[in-house]
Amino acid sequence: MAKTDRDTSKGKPRPIVRLGIFLISHSFFFSVVFSTAGVLALLLLPVLAKNTYISENSLMPGSVAPMLSDQEVAEGNRLIEDLNALKSKPLGSGIGSQRLVAQYMSNLGAEVSFHKFHRQPSQFHPLHFFSSPDSRRIEQNISCALHGVNTIGIIRAPRGDGKEAIVLVTPFNSVKVNKNEALSLGIAYSVFSLLTGVPWLAKDVIWLVADSQFGEYAAVAAWLRDYHTPVFSGVGTLDAEMCPEINNLRGMEENLFTERMTFDGFKRAGTMAAALVIKVGDRTQQYEDSLSIYAEASNGQMPNLDLINTVNYLAVHRQGLRVKVEKLWSLLNMRWLKTLGEMFELLGHYARNINPQLKFGIPAAEYIEGSATLASSLYYQALGIPTGPHGAFRDYQVDAITVEILPKVFTLGNKVRQNDFLLRSGRLIEGVVQSVNNLLEKFHQSFFLYLLTSPSKFVSVGVYMIAFALLVAPLPMVAASLYVNASNSDESMNSEKSSPSATAVDSASSPTTTDAAPLVTLSESTPLLTAADSGSLATVADSASLATAADSSRFATTADCITLSSWKWLYAAKKSFIVYLWGSVVSLLPYFICQIPSCTPTTSFIIWVLLSILGLVVMYGILASPFSDANDSKSQKEWAILKSVTLSAAFIGLCLMSIINFATAEIGGLLMVPMCLMAHPLKLDVKTRSLRTISRAVCNLVLGFIGFPPVTFIVLKGAFEGFSSINVGDFWSWVESLWAWNSATYLYIGVVHLPCWVLCIHILFHHC
Amino acid sequence: MEDNKEERSAKRKQQGRFWTWVTASVLFRLILIYFPQNLNLSSRPEVSTPLTSLRRLAEGYWLKQSSMSPYAGSMYHGSPLLLSLLGPLTVKRIDGQPSHLLCSLVFVAADILNSLLIRATGQTLQIAYRQSLKSLDLDMISETMEILPSGDIAALMYLWNPFTIAACVGLSTSPIENLAIMLALYGACKRLVPLAAFGWVMATHLSLYPMILIIPIILLLGNGPDTPRKLFLLRRHGKVEENSSSDSCQQERVFSWSPVMLLILWTIMWSAYVLLLCGVSVKQYGGLWEMFTSMYGFILTVQDLSPNIGVLWYFFAEVFDFFRNFFLIVFHMNILFMIFPLAIRLHHRPCFLAFVYITISSMLKSYPSVGDSALYFGLLGWFVYELSDMKFSFFLFCVYVGVSLLSPVMHNLWIWRGTGNANFYFATAMAYACLQIVLVVESVSAMLNHDRKLRKLSSAKLQDGKS
Repeated sequence: MAKTDRDTSKGKPRPIVRLGIFLISHSFFFSVVFSTAGVLALLLLPVLAKNTYISENSLMPGSVAPMLSDQEVAEGNRLIEDLNALKSKPLGSGIGSQRLVAQYMSNLGAEVSFHKFHRQPSQFHPLHFFSSPDSRRIEQNISCALHGVNTIGIIRAPRGDGKEAIVLVTPFNSVKVNKNEALSLGIAYSVFSLLTGVPWLAKDVIWLVADSQFGEYAAVAAWLRDYHTPVFSGVGTLDAEMCPEINNLRGMEENLFTERMTFDGFKRAGTMAAALVIKVGDRTQQYEDSLSIYAEASNGQMPNLDLINTVNYLAVHRQGLRVKVEKLWSLLNMRWLKTLGEMFELLGHYARNINPQLKFGIPAAEYIEGSATLASSLYYQALGIPTGPHGAFRDYQVDAITVEILPKVFTLGNKVRQNDFLLRSGRLIEGVVQSVNNLLEKFHQSFFLYLLTSPSKFVSVGVYMIAFALLVAPLPMVAASLYVNASNSDESMNSEKSSPSATAVDSASSPTTTDAAPLVTLSESTPLLTAADSGSLATVADSASLATAADSSRFATTADCITLSSWKWLYAAKKSFIVYLWGSVVSLLPYFICQIPSCTPTTSFIIWVLLSILGLVVMYGILASPFSDANDSKSQKEWAILKSVTLSAAFIGLCLMSIINFATAEIGGLLMVPMCLMAHPLKLDVKTRSLRTISRAVCNLVLGFIGFPPVTFIVLKGAFEGFSSINVGDFWSWVESLWAWNSATYLYIGVVHLPCWVLCIHILFHHC
Repeated sequence: MEDNKEERSAKRKQQGRFWTWVTASVLFRLILIYFPQNLNLSSRPEVSTPLTSLRRLAEGYWLKQSSMSPYAGSMYHGSPLLLSLLGPLTVKRIDGQPSHLLCSLVFVAADILNSLLIRATGQTLQIAYRQSLKSLDLDMISETMEILPSGDIAALMYLWNPFTIAACVGLSTSPIENLAIMLALYGACKRLVPLAAFGWVMATHLSLYPMILIIPIILLLGNGPDTPRKLFLLRRHGKVEENSSSDSCQQERVFSWSPVMLLILWTIMWSAYVLLLCGVSVKQYGGLWEMFTSMYGFILTVQDLSPNIGVLWYFFAEVFDFFRNFFLIVFHMNILFMIFPLAIRLHHRPCFLAFVYITISSMLKSYPSVGDSALYFGLLGWFVYELSDMKFSFFLFCVYVGVSLLSPVMHNLWIWRGTGNANFYFATAMAYACLQIVLVVESVSAMLNHDRKLRKLSSAKLQDGKS
């Protein structure tokens, strides 16, 4: 009666509302279609990849004319020989090699300075992502004995105003000079020596010889931090105060070098336009010199695509180097991928038959290569750990990549081959410097958000977001449909209740008195409920639940009574809020656990799990007591509302994560979406005993098992590396590496995935 | 008898619970105040706007101390009274304590006071509403209402709202602006004309937009708090037809002009006083005119285009200069256009009208912050009962959570990572504005539906009585 009234008063709803209703009413069909389409679209990405192109006109890599000649290469060779000679000397201690490099730099006429830094223990900054890079400031307990010294040479551009700079980085271990590292220093030095004389330089060139004895990343990050935080009061006072005993470094060198080398100061050269990390790999290649590009910075951030394009263009078209990006090798031999690739090839063939204009489909081999590259691109972005020292630059909005040059076999012995190698790689670096030197603004034209499927092919954000959007689209749809169904069923229940009692209006007064008793018991149970953490929410929630109970009992007699039906979700929201709170507590626990001395990963992991379970039990017991709440006819559909809240929370979490780090969200979505969508109380499934429900229950159990993060980790690791070397402690080590690098993936696992999993399990074992 | 006792003990329990929660919220705030470095809330654009930032206030105070105009250099845009009130607290440091501790304590106190005012006003509203329902013989509904202590709910919703906590801990002066608004509403509800006038004058002085609240205040003073007034008329007609004794009709009030006149008188007095005080404090530095241009001129001409959660900064950053004035007028007229239709439709519910006005102005104001949203969420708690059938409540809740988490992420993407741009952040601002529109539309329609339902019930009662 009331419904028809409403319908007539409102008339036809607006088209958008009708569309929404249509989607919601067919949510099962649409969710199946959308999630399948999402997975398919993900598999299609290698096919949809576009060729890269240089978007910024001012780069002009085509007009680069390399000037590097044998003369500079010879100088580079000289440095390499000296370094190698130094290694054989017994006295070649840490400072020796730096001094040698500095000597060479200053002979070229560059400004040289040293930068001393201390090794910093890895620290836990859970909210690092939301703050500026400078916000983590000087840490106290630096071990003074452990320090590294970076050597920095700066060429001032004859045509520049000193406001912009290009950075070349060569990491090398000052304690033990490696042959490959010496080679990379030689390359950088030959380019550097050329650049001191060229007239076209418009940006200063900084050559950072990073002392990699504590890791390449740490050295570069320390230098960048000091570069971007000027100290106004005196020079190096902080270091001097903290560690007086190693201050002799300065005095020792001042007598050694010429006037131009000033050691009392941190040299700067304006904002950085781009940075290039040069390494020479020790994996020798069989056939030709090749080049590996590493681009992933922390949290899946990538440098501007133009930088990769420029390097790729110059390497392939000018120097004839083979360019590679990282691949997930184990994918290459997968049978199903091969069939899929052949299928896509066939499809593309048909498509071309129908319309030759259609450029769909690539050869199967290319598809497999593309997906292996894409998978590794996704994997490294999802980890959120930078793949090299270039990652440190991204925190300061500087585009940087690591270029690892892999020489052909037997290069290292052969003098002629080595000269050729130095010439080619030196010319490549010089070309990149020339191109970047042409830049008028900082990189902004091309993409920042992309996935690589090969060095010259990419999938942009607009394409890969479609796959993700399709994957998560069912979540709000199913949530809405569950919510609507739950409230409708309650309404119908209300009206059913009211219709028999309406016939006995006269006797309505007696039920009210009898119903007063449960009301009191409910109100006595409220302190438990209100003790929940979210104050207002809880108060509203329990008063709402109270009121719904009350009005169902008292005012069911009047058909038009006022209900609080639209606020029923508050109770479920409170419950899931508590679980999410627990999730954040769990993700903070490792910070305390790792303070325990002498803990193996396995024991730490076990302690972590035990503490988490304890926390969950305590929170459930004290705050919510969700297992023991009254389940009258009202809360029969309670699990549905809880599931709808879970789905909404998962949707919000995944969408947020897709903006922070797309790859994590995509992989997490693949795990989480089926788990969330399938969740259904086992009790109901078992009660019905049809094939469909039993299979659903089994699916649920499997998904629930796999969805638990440690299990997921072990299963994935086993799938790619074999199950033989699996250890429970591995998960702990993995997680530790995540939080040591401040990866947002860690937060995602703790704050989004884990609570969602707990809620799903809670729904599975819900009493109905 | 026993029922009564139980009821009383339940009420006491409820009271105790309320105070526990209030203490807990104070403790929570104090804990957060002691970890300011990690949160860095005071530099978030969502929390501190050019008008409410305490850092700017400290700067203004410093300028004033070095005998320059506090408005020099376009740093400070607040009131000179606030400057002399909070300024000395910004420079005072206690060793070993976080800086700005005293200011934070002031804001915490303001928040608590706000919540108490909200509670008291809510209780007054509830009592008045219950009485009017009783006189309409809709007793059973008023009984349901007893279970929902809307005053307590509103106060706790205000105190525990993350927005309120962020605004309080993030050192923005919006708790004090909210306090002025609440004083005005409280005074009007309790018919304390001088207090209402003072609150309104202070609120207008501090942030200009509460000026439009004069309409709900006049309605409150003239008509009394929210009632389904039309029903009385209906009832009277029914009774007249019925020719029964009409003694129950005395509840019906006519608009009384005397408190309104008093309000106008008091308003004039208070504004003269405030202007005098301001004049004294800015006398050496260009006088009142400079204060007006740099406070209200700054608000009205949207000079600061740094990003915030509103929609105006983006628009005025994009708009051509010669259209600027035109669009300034258009945007500000937007608020004014909505005043009168709403006042006509909701004149019988002045407190709800005030809620709607505050929501609209916090959506369309030039420098909105989460502190404004905190206030209207608190006020929303007054109408838990009336809005119990509100549609899309779950959807609204989810989107609010989503947007408030998305906004810092987008800001980070734009400012710190450089991979996003202004559009990313503006998208969340637009989503936020749309959300507030949906909130207003849904709450108003739920309120009107509630009124309709009451009318239906009461006419059904009448019919029953007749037959």
